[in-house]
Amino acid sequence: MGGLSFMEEMKLVKGFKPALAGKPDQSVIYLPDPETVGVSVMDIPYIRPKILVKENDPVKTGTPLFCDKRNPRIQYVSPATGTVEKIIFGERRRLKEIVIRLQGKEDFIRFETLTPEAVDTIQKPDLVRLLQEGGLWPCFRQFPFMDTADPDLEPPMIIVSLNGNDPFSPHPGAVLEKEFSVFEFGLRVLGKLTRRIVVSSRQSSLDQLNGVKNHVTHQVPDLYPAWDPGVVLYRLKTTVEENRSWCISAEHLLLVGKFLLTGTYPVKRVFTVTRPGDQKPHIIARQGSPVKALAGRFPDRSLITTGRFNGRPVDPDSHLGFFDTTLNIIPDNPEEELFGFIRPGISKPSVSRTFLSSLFKTPKELDCNLHGEERACVNCGYCARICPVDLEPSFIIKALLSDDIEDALSFGLLDCCRCGLCTYVCPSKIELTHLLSDGITAYYKDKQ
Amino acid sequence: MNPLKKLFESTRTHFSGSGKFKALAPLFEAVETVFFLPSHRTRHRPFVRDSLDLKRFMTFVILSLLPVLFFGIYNTGLQAGLAGGKAYTVSQAFLTGLTYVLPILIVTYAVGLFWEILFASIRGHHISEGFLVTGLLFPLTLPPTIPLWQVALGISFGVVVGKELFGGTGRNVLNPALTGRAFLFFSYPLTMSGDVWIAGKTAVDGVSGATALSVLAPEGQSITAALADSGFTLSNLFFGFIPGSIGETSALCCLLGAAFLLLTRVANFRVIIGGMAGLILTSLVFSFIPGDGGSWLKAGPLYHLCAGGFLFGITFMATDPVSGPGTDPARWIFGFLIGFLTVTIRVANPAFAEGTMLAILFMNVFAPLLDHMVMKYKISKRIPNV
Repeated sequence: MGGLSFMEEMKLVKGFKPALAGKPDQSVIYLPDPETVGVSVMDIPYIRPKILVKENDPVKTGTPLFCDKRNPRIQYVSPATGTVEKIIFGERRRLKEIVIRLQGKEDFIRFETLTPEAVDTIQKPDLVRLLQEGGLWPCFRQFPFMDTADPDLEPPMIIVSLNGNDPFSPHPGAVLEKEFSVFEFGLRVLGKLTRRIVVSSRQSSLDQLNGVKNHVTHQVPDLYPAWDPGVVLYRLKTTVEENRSWCISAEHLLLVGKFLLTGTYPVKRVFTVTRPGDQKPHIIARQGSPVKALAGRFPDRSLITTGRFNGRPVDPDSHLGFFDTTLNIIPDNPEEELFGFIRPGISKPSVSRTFLSSLFKTPKELDCNLHGEERACVNCGYCARICPVDLEPSFIIKALLSDDIEDALSFGLLDCCRCGLCTYVCPSKIELTHLLSDGITAYYKDKQ
Repeated sequence: MNPLKKLFESTRTHFSGSGKFKALAPLFEAVETVFFLPSHRTRHRPFVRDSLDLKRFMTFVILSLLPVLFFGIYNTGLQAGLAGGKAYTVSQAFLTGLTYVLPILIVTYAVGLFWEILFASIRGHHISEGFLVTGLLFPLTLPPTIPLWQVALGISFGVVVGKELFGGTGRNVLNPALTGRAFLFFSYPLTMSGDVWIAGKTAVDGVSGATALSVLAPEGQSITAALADSGFTLSNLFFGFIPGSIGETSALCCLLGAAFLLLTRVANFRVIIGGMAGLILTSLVFSFIPGDGGSWLKAGPLYHLCAGGFLFGITFMATDPVSGPGTDPARWIFGFLIGFLTVTIRVANPAFAEGTMLAILFMNVFAPLLDHMVMKYKISKRIPNV
């Protein structure tokens, strides 16, 4: 890896085509440190957390807060210096987040550093240990379950995705600006873990990438979710072994690079906040900042998510997680329309052609309403028509509902990247993504 | 608040909880959602949803059927007038047609909805919008002279046996409207075939009430000439000024409906195009087979396309997504075979003049098999991920 590489253009026609309102601005603002930060568990897949601190314990930046019982060496660390203010549990005493109140001057836990020259000589076990101690191992995710990567495995491929999960996730230009050398260093570190590194980028992001552009191996169309690592893997894979590939976001790769270069836990992250009718700048703030601090003022009853298609809903009083990079403020539109089923719908967002809006390319505002009621599946085929990994979601759902996991798997259940588009288009309002996701999770747990 | 909304809110208590009409909750819900599009918040990802719902989806099928419906009413009156030796104006013909078609429509919806509401109430389901389509399709496939008790029986069979016995909407193997028609066709052949296509004809003698498909040319005459002699010129077949089932006669109106369904992408174009391709190819091939020039064997693609109920069937019946296949390649095959079987039955089976209904029902039965084969093929092309 390294140096100039040839960029391949990926063709993909399935995805979400309508333009969306509320695209964030390219400018960047810095948010002052908040009073509290949190480390959320809600965005960590399959974790069984073991808490390592007590309330009122003093913590430094980099102090481990909890680890994963499945592999206690994988730790999650504090992104600030202060005291543990609160450990918040949810239903069935499941840990939700640990809140740190910022106090005093920032004090870092010091880790070993790795110079660019030493990358070639460091042994893989040492590298893994360093990243695990520093709380950065979770940056690596492993297909097909998108679980935290198994450090004992050599992945056939690591996909570095320059773009986040939401159409309006932070622009890689804003994330990688001035960090070119760190990014290159990160790529060299990846070379210690795998033989094949794929760097994918949305077409629209390429212009502002400068030097990073030379490292992009695959360019994908500007069509959600073409840049999702799951979609990229589906397009690239040629063997069964590649189903166990890993992925990492470009921002996380930067964190890995910075951590190894400085020996301290990197705390600054780039966020976007999207809202219809608003163009908010990119925000640089501390990891785990409060949702309210980033979101600012928003209309009542809005739904806040970390990805309108494939994120999670967040409580305004909670803190952003390690993997969260965007907040979508989605308005609620509770008004029930008279004769809604027959209105021409000039401004209704739809990928179908049953609204006049399909004739106009103006950006559409999406709200958080279902626009209908759940009905039986009528086999209309809208889900298959939009699935970026060529699944037949309705067939898989029917297999899952009849407990036929073998059929569901052979139909490609594990290729599902949970982009949410099948559910988005379903006129019967069936929770396809939820059912698919539950099916994948159930299969994962069954295998443990 | 909207006064209508107020009315719903004030009557809701009777239909929910311990209200007097709790059993009819699905009916209340169905009526309410016709007026007010329900819009709950999303609870699972994705948190945004498309504006299209099934109600609108089904409404668009009904919209696409309106040209067929209105022309069918007009033509029923027109044919009745012709049979009675009267030249009706457009409005006279329409009003006369209405006296025949409206009772059939009302009986279909009343009886069909009764079964829908009964099953939905017992099962605690929503009332499916799909019935609005079935309830309009079924009358359009009937001759205008059909006795109303048979209409009631037919739609009952279609809804109960064709759909509800299989578990309701989304689970039926056969198209319910066609199931009802097939039931009538085989149970009461006297009112479903032969001299039944012109309303009010019994008053006058000497008018043949047969459809184009039952025409056979005498020795030495070609089928097209024989058709023209009986009034079935190609233009009459295309525009639909001929006797036949209420909705099937006008190829033009069916094509208008098809165009609307394809433009809005409510119907899958693969079924319609595949069906037309199947019919055209098969009828072309058949026209080269040496044989009796006076039968439909020699009619050629245009006559096969415009005569009978093929365009109606392929546009509105075969595109029913529930009873059709769910994968794209299977949809092509499904459509193509309907076209092929329609011509084959018309030409090769002297017992049935028309083959569309049987072809579609037959392929409905095979749709799951087609899907199964397509899925097997698709699996073989995927890199396994287990």
